[in-house]
Amino acid sequence: MDLKNLMPFSVLDARGLTCPMPLLKTKKELKAVPEGEILEIWGTDPGSKNDIPHFGDRGGNSFLGLFDDDEGYTRYFIRKG
Amino acid sequence: MSSVSFWSSLKEEARKNYIAIFEQEWPTWLAGIFLALVALLIFLWKGPWGVAAGYRNVGDWIFYFGGVGEDRPYSPLLHPITLTSGGLLIGAFVSALMSRQFKLHKAPPLEYAKSAIGGVFMGAGAVLAAGCNVGGFYTAAAMLDLGGVAMMAGLIIGAWIGLRYLLWEMEHVPQKGVVQHPPSDKWLGVQPYIGGTTMFLVIAAFYLYSVFDNTELGGLLFFGFLIGLIMHRSRFCFVRAFRCPFMTGDAEMVKVVAMSLVIYGMGTAVIKWAWIQEPSMGVSHNFWMGSLFGGAIFGVGMLIAGGCASSTLWRIGEGQTKMVVTLIAFALTNSLLARTLKSFELYDKMGQGLFIPDTLTWYVTVPIFIVFFVFWAFVAIWNEKSEKLVIF
Repeated sequence: MDLKNLMPFSVLDARGLTCPMPLLKTKKELKAVPEGEILEIWGTDPGSKNDIPHFGDRGGNSFLGLFDDDEGYTRYFIRKG
Repeated sequence: MSSVSFWSSLKEEARKNYIAIFEQEWPTWLAGIFLALVALLIFLWKGPWGVAAGYRNVGDWIFYFGGVGEDRPYSPLLHPITLTSGGLLIGAFVSALMSRQFKLHKAPPLEYAKSAIGGVFMGAGAVLAAGCNVGGFYTAAAMLDLGGVAMMAGLIIGAWIGLRYLLWEMEHVPQKGVVQHPPSDKWLGVQPYIGGTTMFLVIAAFYLYSVFDNTELGGLLFFGFLIGLIMHRSRFCFVRAFRCPFMTGDAEMVKVVAMSLVIYGMGTAVIKWAWIQEPSMGVSHNFWMGSLFGGAIFGVGMLIAGGCASSTLWRIGEGQTKMVVTLIAFALTNSLLARTLKSFELYDKMGQGLFIPDTLTWYVTVPIFIVFFVFWAFVAIWNEKSEKLVIF
């Protein structure tokens, strides 16, 4: 899947936030995303690379993938189930 | 027949092992086993593993340099727990460098304030409970001191309260992201060399301590180093065991900590029952009042700060600048409150250690210990499926 060309419904900027705030905000933001739509998360906390993929595959949602952006942060993609 | 030389074969194997150890993340269950084994080695080598006393030693020195207190504190280079904790931080630093992950992480201003407040709570809680999440809970429980179980109950309560606060904050205090700059290719390339040199210096320090008849202290520095390496490679965080059942329902860390405690506790039982170490060793926690209330206060603090006593150290090792604030606040509060309680003779009123086999005998204690922590894991697994305890 070409993550760079996905069209997210909304983008959550969690850069600079550390555990557990990126995950907490992801959970909150995902509640507002309609079923089938995509939430993109921007993060810099190294721990999020475990937390967000693990969480993104729970509760009927699908974690689509992540990649490190050239600007120094990581982009995560979750499809609401 | 292949024409591979001995040296090229060795180089290829070293490269594969380097990737397995420093580039791929370790599973947390493996880290849980390693952590219990190193904690048992520390127990055999010197005594129970702790962390908070190292923070207090740092706090004592800050006050001493600030002109508060006339007694010169114990040298951190000769303090067993400061050395273990220093080793933990260095181990994480080396791990971060070897995996090319060391980076100075900036945080929004509110996060620094929360780090300070969380550090104050943790410093106070660790005084009341006579230990932090390591000495007051993990090690205390493994030493079969009922204070460890009381602190565990306090940590669960504190984590619930702390999470409630974070939910409130998320709804009412908006925070903007902070732009971080990517590390340069040159810095990424040089990191493993700095890490390798630092690791060599830690090993050299062990021999240096031995030369000065302090092999025991050198060993503690090295064991701490191993713990830092294990924790950073696996991102081992005690906070997750108490927070996640309420936050996402995830049971992974509860299972890991419970398994690790069963190994650590049963190893301790063998060592104590066989009188290899004194059975009462490490049974000095403030059961029940200090452990319970101290645990609750500590639990709130670790949620607000975003790290416990051990994960604060390994996160500093990977470059989390906000955790330095937590360390300083924890150290100052712990040092100040310990002095205050002692001067008013209140410390002994917090409770005292209760060695479970003295009450229940060894024959009953061992199975109950195992059943208790297995039950904790099963409650978490049930909650993961049902989300009955999830508050958000």
